[in-house]
Amino acid sequence: MSAIVAHEITQRFGSDVALDAVDFALDEGEHLAVLGDNGAGKTTLLRILATAARPTSGQLAIFGLDAVRERKALRAQIGYVAHAPGLYPALSAAENLEFFCSLHDVDRKRVPEALALVGLSDVARRPAGRLSRGEQQRLAIGRAVLHSPRLLVLDEPDASLDSDGPDLLASVMRGRSVVLATHDHALANRLCQRTVMLSNGRSLGAGTRLRVVR
Amino acid sequence: MTRSIAVAYAVARKDLTSEWRTRELVPALGQFVVLALVIANFGFQIDSQNATVIAPGVLWLALVFAGLVAFGRAFAAEREQASLEAMLLTPASAAAIFAGKAIAAALLLIACEAVLLPALALMFGTPFNAELVAAVLIATVGMAALGCLFAAMVARVRSREVLLPLLTLPLWIPFIVAGGQAVQVAMGASGSYNQAVALLIDFDILFVVLTSLAARFVLDD
Repeated sequence: MSAIVAHEITQRFGSDVALDAVDFALDEGEHLAVLGDNGAGKTTLLRILATAARPTSGQLAIFGLDAVRERKALRAQIGYVAHAPGLYPALSAAENLEFFCSLHDVDRKRVPEALALVGLSDVARRPAGRLSRGEQQRLAIGRAVLHSPRLLVLDEPDASLDSDGPDLLASVMRGRSVVLATHDHALANRLCQRTVMLSNGRSLGAGTRLRVVR
Repeated sequence: MTRSIAVAYAVARKDLTSEWRTRELVPALGQFVVLALVIANFGFQIDSQNATVIAPGVLWLALVFAGLVAFGRAFAAEREQASLEAMLLTPASAAAIFAGKAIAAALLLIACEAVLLPALALMFGTPFNAELVAAVLIATVGMAALGCLFAAMVARVRSREVLLPLLTLPLWIPFIVAGGQAVQVAMGASGSYNQAVALLIDFDILFVVLTSLAARFVLDD
């Protein structure tokens, strides 16, 4: 079954074309890396996949559902890590996740599991505002998998992560469909089976592992 | 319905916990309303003859500007922390999230009113009674619903500090008119308190329903 089928996804901001008729498909359980320079359209594409933005035109189906009309239903199946961690600085790491358990209607027992998965069990009671940038990024990743999503949309998740970041990402990506935007070709090569390259909003083509760095 | 209540409760609890720990807003608002009363006290040359005429106007002026700050902050903080999008990308309904934000902002304004009303009675020598408190609390409900809706609308705009009062104040006028009348009667002026409060309740129902319906479009689209 296809996790994602994107057909001619276009996003315009006024006269600027951020995405120009991008096509790709992703099978369930497959990991896709979105590569490209700054301003290539990676974040715009990922925001559309995460249902945070609506494309100007084109069709997007996620797990067989229309990602624009049925986005409410899809949100329970998607985990998104954006550029900014988007945490509540006065709440502890555990309280941040407990709050999102309430919004996702999942059991709070998941919080210790998620904290352990991202290696934050020791700082569970520390306010998110006093965590390092890397720890905040880990917490954002923990929040994205809290509700066991089938699809993970990760926008440069390796930003601020330390040397074991790729291992952490590999463990959270296991068993899920993943779209990951990154500048790091080595990371894409390690974590993803397929890649799509964007330039000025246009897809330069999809392929299997880049083998850029080996 | 139960799910929406649970979401609204979680959002309100989160906002109030954050405020309790940071104490960013309520102490500043408390100081603001006391300063406003002190300035009005000196500016208007209050005596026992004119106190009950001037005090309701001073009360609503202080409350309106404190409300603009409290409701504006409710969504501005979410935007600054980039956390609103994370909330909206959950299956929770936008109306429930909005209700939670509005309840928390209303409770913060009520905390500010807990300073304002006794301070007003102390400085202006006006009565401090249950009718006065009830009129202000009833008005706070509708003002919070409207204030939060516009705060959500302008939160992503750069000139939100200017736009929020421009959008909100005209629609707060019914609350100020009916609330002003109720407060004047509660302070001893002639008129129908029940009629003014009934009007306030009607406005509350109207604006709570309208803002709940509009919240989805404002937050999610």
